[in-house]
Amino acid sequence: MPELVVENLKKSFAGNAVLEDINFTVADGEFFTLLGPSGCGKSTTLACVAGLEHPESGTIRVGDQVFFDGDPRSAVPPEGRNLGLVFQSYALWPHMTIAGNLALPLKLRKVSGPEQKRLIDEALDKVDMLHLRDRYPHQLSGGQQQRVALARGIVYAPGVLLLDEPLSNLDAKMRDQARIWLKSLQREVGITTVYVTHDQVEAMSLSDRIAVFMHGRLQQVGTPTEIYETPATPEVAGFIGRCNLLEGRVDEAPAEGSTVRVELGSTGQHLKVVRTQDVREGQSATVGLRSERITLSHRADVAGDGVNVLRARIKQCSYTGARFEYQLSVGDLDIHAESTVRHEGEEISLLIRPEDCLLYPATV
Amino acid sequence: MATETPPAPAPPRTLRAGELGTPQYRRLFGAGREVTIHWVTFLVTAALVLAAVVPILYQSIRNQPLYAAGGAFTLSNYVHLFTEAEFGTIILNTLLFAVLTTVFALAIAVPMAILLERTRFPAARLFGQVLRWPIYISPLVLAFGWIVVYGPAGFLTSTVREAMGWVPWNLYTLPGMAFVEAVAQVPVAYLFCANALAASDTSLENAARSVGAGPVRVLRSVVIPMLRPPVLYAGLLIFGTAVETLSIPLILGGPAELTLFSSFLYEQGIDAVSPDYGLLGAASTFMLVTTVGLVIVQARLLKQAQRFVSVRGKAARSNLLDLGGWKWVGFAFVGVYVVFGALLPMIALVLRAFTSLLTPLVNPLKLLTLDNFRLIFSYAPYTESITNSITVAFIGAVAVTVFGTVVVLVARRSDFRLARLLETAAQSPHAVPGLIIGIGFFWAFAWMPGGDAVRGTLFALVIAFGLRALPSAYGAISPATMQLGSELDNAARVAGADWWRTVSRILIRLLVPAMLASFLLIWTQMIREYAPAMFLAGAESQVIGTTAIDLWTQGETGSVAALATLQIAVTAVVAGLAGLLLKGRKEKNNA
Repeated sequence: MPELVVENLKKSFAGNAVLEDINFTVADGEFFTLLGPSGCGKSTTLACVAGLEHPESGTIRVGDQVFFDGDPRSAVPPEGRNLGLVFQSYALWPHMTIAGNLALPLKLRKVSGPEQKRLIDEALDKVDMLHLRDRYPHQLSGGQQQRVALARGIVYAPGVLLLDEPLSNLDAKMRDQARIWLKSLQREVGITTVYVTHDQVEAMSLSDRIAVFMHGRLQQVGTPTEIYETPATPEVAGFIGRCNLLEGRVDEAPAEGSTVRVELGSTGQHLKVVRTQDVREGQSATVGLRSERITLSHRADVAGDGVNVLRARIKQCSYTGARFEYQLSVGDLDIHAESTVRHEGEEISLLIRPEDCLLYPATV
Repeated sequence: MATETPPAPAPPRTLRAGELGTPQYRRLFGAGREVTIHWVTFLVTAALVLAAVVPILYQSIRNQPLYAAGGAFTLSNYVHLFTEAEFGTIILNTLLFAVLTTVFALAIAVPMAILLERTRFPAARLFGQVLRWPIYISPLVLAFGWIVVYGPAGFLTSTVREAMGWVPWNLYTLPGMAFVEAVAQVPVAYLFCANALAASDTSLENAARSVGAGPVRVLRSVVIPMLRPPVLYAGLLIFGTAVETLSIPLILGGPAELTLFSSFLYEQGIDAVSPDYGLLGAASTFMLVTTVGLVIVQARLLKQAQRFVSVRGKAARSNLLDLGGWKWVGFAFVGVYVVFGALLPMIALVLRAFTSLLTPLVNPLKLLTLDNFRLIFSYAPYTESITNSITVAFIGAVAVTVFGTVVVLVARRSDFRLARLLETAAQSPHAVPGLIIGIGFFWAFAWMPGGDAVRGTLFALVIAFGLRALPSAYGAISPATMQLGSELDNAARVAGADWWRTVSRILIRLLVPAMLASFLLIWTQMIREYAPAMFLAGAESQVIGTTAIDLWTQGETGSVAALATLQIAVTAVVAGLAGLLLKGRKEKNNA
């Protein structure tokens, strides 16, 4: 099956831009996730792909088949797109049995009776629901309904499978199990999948690639590692994982050096940062610093070569079981850090490697 | 949760992604077939509404009957109407009748709603049910029942005259007429207030209790002020109904020589030897403008009133107010109304149907007879009017429910551009009095080429009654669609169903309970409908209501009572059957 291409998608609602310049390509067989906080436009994008909503401009196509080319009147209706869609609420038709729910898309495609039965049983078997084929949706638990909804989405072998927060109605434990199971199912079926979620753990663990949405714009598209290790913007860094965003000013940027030095606000303290971006001396910049990459120590001299040392005050320390979480202050900056060790006292040293610092020069 | 599936015994072959393709649908006029369905639904609805209204507006500005050749534009019809000697009196009578009806109905219904819904009241549930059922009885039948009991020769009138030498009431006056109409309208006001009270938040009352207010104080300061929106809305509704109603002005106003607007239209259009069509058109237009204006005000108010509604899910109904000794005053009030207002007239009517005379002087059991029924069944047109009513109500209820469902789905569950306009059009007949719909279609059929073949047939009645009932069907089905999440449609669309398949395979199946409820509602409404038939019905297409009025003018009180009894019986049987059916479905679903 060819790739799904979304280009220059734009949509506004009552004067407010909901989607702005959305571009991405999903490769054949890829598990692609649209991730972002609620209201960021990820579900709207999915609805546009499914044909349930229409953007104002842009292109949506699967291979050569153009679903949308900027004119809502010539848009291909949802039933002409051959996609599978699984809803957060499952949306199983309550007046049909499980088998009946799976049969409808096959009936619409004029599949013969015996072949229908074979495909339905095959799909239900994949989700381990074969024994419930003659039940009605209201007789099933939430987790079971969710599996049936997925089976209904794949039984007719659609070109692309769209999943709209399919796990968010499950309780936490079920969700963990369903995640593992969903991933292996997608690998087995090999279907191109677009997955929408606000849960970064789901996105990181399931996806081949992730598209991070914020305020209706696509911030970054990349593998989970890329998204976490080299977030494109401070917003992405702040959204994925726990990341301190420290405002500062570049005060040393030697032409041939691989690091630059950033003065943190008005604290008088400095951070050496790997020069991942082109910066000038005197330029304002934001330094992103992951909470778990900060080492806390009472002794400054343990730092190795080139490691930054910041002097900080412990404002609060809370025990969360697996680790301790610290609220620290460096001058007037607040920093959040994690450690498996309990540190007493007020003063503490923060050891930070330059390569763990994310550099974002301020855009003028 | 197994993460591995045991290797299946090698199925013939797994599908490749996208292999089955998408379903193909026939396209009509170069677009999906839903476009045609949407437009046909819209055009049919619009055509029906316009057919009922446009001929009236047009006739009102023509100096000749609109089907006659020639004729020119004129305003003289309006001049004629407004300078008609009686016109001022008629307007005043109508206004007084409507105001009194509204005041009486509210004065009875509002205290009863508060007593039954908000206080500890003996047998509150039973009374609540009994108060609702006059909805199923036509005001015409109720008026007959009242005359049998409280008319000049009525059962109670005679008793009281015998005992006291005089009678403190007279039905054949404006207040008398208004009181009977009010009794017919009490269920409407009661339902509005009771529903509002049932949905309102009891914690507001508890809050008042907690700051030291006693039960009576809570009623006065919290409960009654909260009822303002439903009371206002119900009041307007009743006022509007009173303006357009024909039965009571005709039955009670006629002998008293009190002409109201609806009976004026009736006299001009039917009783007159050579009807002045221009005057009738102008008068109908005037009435239409009034009722449409009232409905617009209602809609505005309803929109505002929704802001005052305090709904917090299911309110706990444990803390009803205790009125102490006052409770028995309330009980007497409700009891007197139920017994003397609703039960007694109905019992007397049924009794009258089976006796040759109903008087306190003779034991009715000695006068038992079936002659009243014999008269109806011995004359074919009378018998036919019963089968006609049943036929029209049955076909009409099926047709209106099915068509109404499609209208709701196009208006609420499609991307049709004129969805809002379709909704307004489907609800607009609510503002058109039955008499006006009758006149409008009468002229439309006269005007239309080939319309003469339709006029006077049962088909014409189905169309006219059906249009009048369309808003009820819309109101019964539309809320049910709101209970169905849009994902159900979307899931079907993405799975390959076009709009019409989604409607026929998913939505209509899920709306079956609402459609059954709509069928029952429309059926009870149509079996007692008669106003449009006054103009439209031919000799062979009379209905129960028109025959009853006919018999009444001939003085055949007993046969009228027999006819009314039959109508109540038929309504009750169908309501019972439908109730069983709905209950059966519910149990099946719960099993």
